[in-house]
Amino acid sequence: MKKGLMMFVASIALLLSACSRDTREKLYVYNVGEYIDREVLNLFEEEFNCKVIYELYDSNETMYQKIKAGGTNYDVAFPSDYMVEKMIKDDLLIPLDYELIPNFQYIDEKYKHLPYDPENSYTVPYFWGTVGILYDQSVIKEPVDSWSVLWDDAYKGNVFMYDSQRDSLMVALKLLGYSMNTHDIEELEEAKQLLIDQRPLVYAYVTDQVIDNMISGNAALAVVYSGDATYIMDENENMNYVIPKEGSNIWVDSMVIPKTAQNVELAHEFINFMQRPDIALMNTEYVMYSTPNTETLKMVADQEWTQNDAYSPSEELLATLPMETFRDPGEFIKQYDDIWTQVLAAPNRR
Amino acid sequence: MTKTPLIEIKNLTKEYDGDIILKGIDLTIHEDEFVTLLGPSGCGKTTLLRIIGGFDTPTSGEVVFKGKDLIQIPSYKREINTVFQKYALFPHLNVFDNIAFGLRMKKVPESEITERVNRMLKMIKLTDFANRRIDSLSGGQQQRIAIARALVNRPKVLLLDEPLGALDLKLRQDMQYELKEIQREMGITFIFVTHDQEEALTMSDTIVVLNDGLIQQIGTPVDIYNEPRNRFVANFIGESNIVDAVMIEDYKVKFEGHVFECVDRGYNPNEAVEVVIRPEDLQIVDKEKGAFTGVVDSVIFKGVHYEIIVMVEGREYIVHSTQSAEVGSVVGMIVAPADIHVMEVGI
Amino acid sequence: MHESTKRLSYPYIVWISIIIIIPMLLIFLYSLIDPSDGNPMAFRLTIDNYVKFFSPIYISTLARSLWIAVWSTLACLLLGYPLAWVIAQCHPKKQSSLLLLFIMPMWINMLLRTYAWISILGKNGILNNILEFFHLAPVDIMYTDFAIILGMVYNFLPFMVLPIHTAIAKVDKNLIDAARDLGANNRQVFSKVVFPLTLPGIITGVIMVFLPAVSTFVIPQLLGGGQFMMIGNLIEKQFLLTGNWYFGSALSMILMIFILLSIWLMKRFDSDGQAGGALPW
Repeated sequence: MKKGLMMFVASIALLLSACSRDTREKLYVYNVGEYIDREVLNLFEEEFNCKVIYELYDSNETMYQKIKAGGTNYDVAFPSDYMVEKMIKDDLLIPLDYELIPNFQYIDEKYKHLPYDPENSYTVPYFWGTVGILYDQSVIKEPVDSWSVLWDDAYKGNVFMYDSQRDSLMVALKLLGYSMNTHDIEELEEAKQLLIDQRPLVYAYVTDQVIDNMISGNAALAVVYSGDATYIMDENENMNYVIPKEGSNIWVDSMVIPKTAQNVELAHEFINFMQRPDIALMNTEYVMYSTPNTETLKMVADQEWTQNDAYSPSEELLATLPMETFRDPGEFIKQYDDIWTQVLAAPNRR
Repeated sequence: MTKTPLIEIKNLTKEYDGDIILKGIDLTIHEDEFVTLLGPSGCGKTTLLRIIGGFDTPTSGEVVFKGKDLIQIPSYKREINTVFQKYALFPHLNVFDNIAFGLRMKKVPESEITERVNRMLKMIKLTDFANRRIDSLSGGQQQRIAIARALVNRPKVLLLDEPLGALDLKLRQDMQYELKEIQREMGITFIFVTHDQEEALTMSDTIVVLNDGLIQQIGTPVDIYNEPRNRFVANFIGESNIVDAVMIEDYKVKFEGHVFECVDRGYNPNEAVEVVIRPEDLQIVDKEKGAFTGVVDSVIFKGVHYEIIVMVEGREYIVHSTQSAEVGSVVGMIVAPADIHVMEVGI
Repeated sequence: MHESTKRLSYPYIVWISIIIIIPMLLIFLYSLIDPSDGNPMAFRLTIDNYVKFFSPIYISTLARSLWIAVWSTLACLLLGYPLAWVIAQCHPKKQSSLLLLFIMPMWINMLLRTYAWISILGKNGILNNILEFFHLAPVDIMYTDFAIILGMVYNFLPFMVLPIHTAIAKVDKNLIDAARDLGANNRQVFSKVVFPLTLPGIITGVIMVFLPAVSTFVIPQLLGGGQFMMIGNLIEKQFLLTGNWYFGSALSMILMIFILLSIWLMKRFDSDGQAGGALPW
């Protein structure tokens, strides 16, 4: 008797749920964590009467592996410059129909036609930034302008380095005057040795933890992404950001449509929507990373948190410094990783 | 021969969780004495033993050992060793190391240890067992090792907590004799706890009967058996027939409508008393020859004797006889004066 | 009867084969494949991956792991035994609730609990705030090997306490009375009777702590700030970062051999199966 009742209730529930099935279109968006203002998704859903399924990944590499492996149907993804290059090489992306992305006009020319996608066939820039030194002005009185400050014995145990082979090797290579994209083994060995020598000075090799740590002022120096620096400086007024004179990495994260996308048209709408000045404004205010959207830039130009070299380094500044974009090293990445592993495994620590 | 007092227990009480387990024990234990603490479960005998051994402390009272207060001395410093009920042999040591344990604690030199342990092994007839593991031994063997482990230390007093309980009858009887022998040889005072009155009668120099936290009687096996001080002791030791009677005058007691000669005196004339007669002291005769008569109710063959129940006006008499009787027949009962034991009422 | 019981084990055998034996064979196979080949199916076998391990950097990584694991295990033992002892002395009913209290934090994700330590040990963390409140000097524990050991002890202590507690609870109280009766003072009762009898529990606890301690990578990563690459981190990097699964597999095999060696060594201390007098006085 009881069993029959349960079956009855279950089938009713099933019917009801079937009735309320979402008949809206679906959009699958694949992005890094903490890289969007979620409100933006709600607005998109309202305007275009669809459902956005938002999924997170923790690194470019993870995203790449998943999309390459197949079996996924992401409509939009947000790879970094070097990863875009790789995905184009591997024929994983759809060329964009810019007729559907009129807001592309707002993108600053500076961020168009970059080496990884010279004709902007596949990408629309999303955020851009640099990598630089974040330092505590209450501790460091002298002006900071060089990567070498991270090797200064005076700040022993007071330095955060990034636990990322790409970024930390870049610092060493730039300091030595080499290209961050070098395939020269000798140059890399020099960089490796430099990093090993640095180890006694390093407080820790971290990734996201640098943010909380620097807000608390746990160290005097850190290598950070410009967007993180903007956020940290907003929270801790002692902190200041500088792009060293030896140059650094300038990076761009873009929106792309993978070949496996199900809803190409809606994907285009989404990309266009994201660079609508008011939407881009919401994103940049939330994430605090630099926007490539000229209109949006005007809107934030006079806000206090943007008045620094992290969020808005001047054109002159960037022109004088030897900035580089990271290129996909292809198979050579194994060498980079190996060297970095050796750096971290070296017994030379504080 | 009077023996020297070794342990004096004065007004010992023990309370636990609101229950009074020992209600005031006065007892003197002598050197070279085999003392048995006898009583039913819960009478306090094990508690008393544990207090002497140092595994428990009394609530009040004294225990004096060779003139010194024993309670202050912790267990490991007392010249007393214990044979535990479940032997408590160390499973991680072999037979030799078990026996040697106490000697090693005292830091006796290894050569002496080897000699003494081997002697012990010989005494308990387990010479070849030195390297055996404990769990490979039978109950009887373990028990002997437990005894050896205690005795090798030459204690002044050996405490035995119902050590024979887990053994089968034949083995138990053998061990009773062996223990008695060992005690006699070594001259150590044994304090033996049991609820088995036959065991107590077999082994002891002195029996201390306990019930409900109080000493009921102290005496030699013969005394306790023949002259129980009260109904409890009479019932607990051996079987007994207890009858209401009247003490006419010294040496004369009346019950079952007959005046018997007896060997007790000192009661008031016509005082109400109780009389204890052992079943083996009652004789069944023809009904004309008996001091009183009764009807045979049942006859059970017990091997050693027949157990015959005779009903006398509704009262049950137990008779042990080597001869049988006919159920339902009317028989006479007689008893010798020396076998009539008079007690005060209701102690 | 016997036959049907055997048949019950077949699904179990299949399951074990799929999730344990086959993957292990795969790892073994991978460890022998030449990494310079783009195509793993080309099957050029080599022991180069193993040879690569025998360089100072990688050997020091394993040595570091063993060092930290040994200290963590020791700390767990020194803290865990008294704790297990205290719990075992309590009323039996209380014991199970005490143990439950002790185990409950384990139900929370290990990653979260390790993260919690970051906020405790940081330069401006809870610990330093407390010290400051009492006008004591702040400590700089974060990103040191001490922090890693702390994290390990915190995470793995229950694995040490539980088996030891079981062993202690199983010790017959009569044996302790017997030891005292035979002249053993408290110290001797412990060293000659209780300790040897609880040794199997200790060995179990040591193995159950040492194993995860030597191979974990989360704790040294989070609490060590990348400063202390342990063998677990090294293996993780091979698989997730470098993509050199072949070297990673070889490292895994080497680690596995070490762990098996350690277990074999520790088992030798368990005198079960030998004559009782095996332990030295």
